[in-house]
Amino acid sequence: MIAIQTDDVDIGALIAAAKKQGTGAIVIFDGVVRDDDITEMELEAYVDVAIQELEKIARDASEQFRLLHVDIIHRIGRLLVGENILIIVVSAGHRPEAYAGSRYIIEEIKKGVPIWKKELTKKGGRWVPGEHGHGKGPS
Amino acid sequence: MQRHGNNENNTEECEVTVKIRFFARFRELLGTDIVTDVAPGTIFTSLIASVAKKNPEGYAAIFDETGAFHEFVILMRNGKRIDIADADKTVIADGDEIAVFPPVAGG
Repeated sequence: MIAIQTDDVDIGALIAAAKKQGTGAIVIFDGVVRDDDITEMELEAYVDVAIQELEKIARDASEQFRLLHVDIIHRIGRLLVGENILIIVVSAGHRPEAYAGSRYIIEEIKKGVPIWKKELTKKGGRWVPGEHGHGKGPS
Repeated sequence: MQRHGNNENNTEECEVTVKIRFFARFRELLGTDIVTDVAPGTIFTSLIASVAKKNPEGYAAIFDETGAFHEFVILMRNGKRIDIADADKTVIADGDEIAVFPPVAGG
């Protein structure tokens, strides 16, 4: 499943669904709202384009690392500290491919998928600067 | 959805209609889903500049003092990235969806 949504997901159900024939390893990445002295985090996406790019990343990862199954679920909207932001589930025959495929997917998402985060604090809000692209934008 | 421009009464058939989408900080400053009619031959950079000028802070977030896009700004036309260097020669077509946004920070 590739999705951008406000709702959380049942990670247990994703793991069960990822156990395709030949699976020997499943790696789950769960990005969580960190308590950086914030009250909430607000996430925004250019949804149509972001979905297309997530689908391409999943296809590329599947080919490059011989993954048997990929789920990428990125949440948007307002999230509290401790809530899931991004869940990536990959399955492969062996752990090196599963770990490498999961790492590839998260790094590619951070490079270019049009999604933004704003940290909300008691004093207001601040957009999280990108790690990639043409330098960092204004805060 | 917003309607932009001063040509609501213009009935020329040759105008083209485009939608401009700003995201993140740019959206906060300039709004989003702005539908506007422009003359045929309008250039990408000119279109964004004309819309951004309605808010000086929004304009300054996207353009530098020479009127060029800040190097960190990301441009898209119909879901495909456009290099800043090409924006000055990209002609807007009818039905285009233009997106302008700051560096991404997902994950």
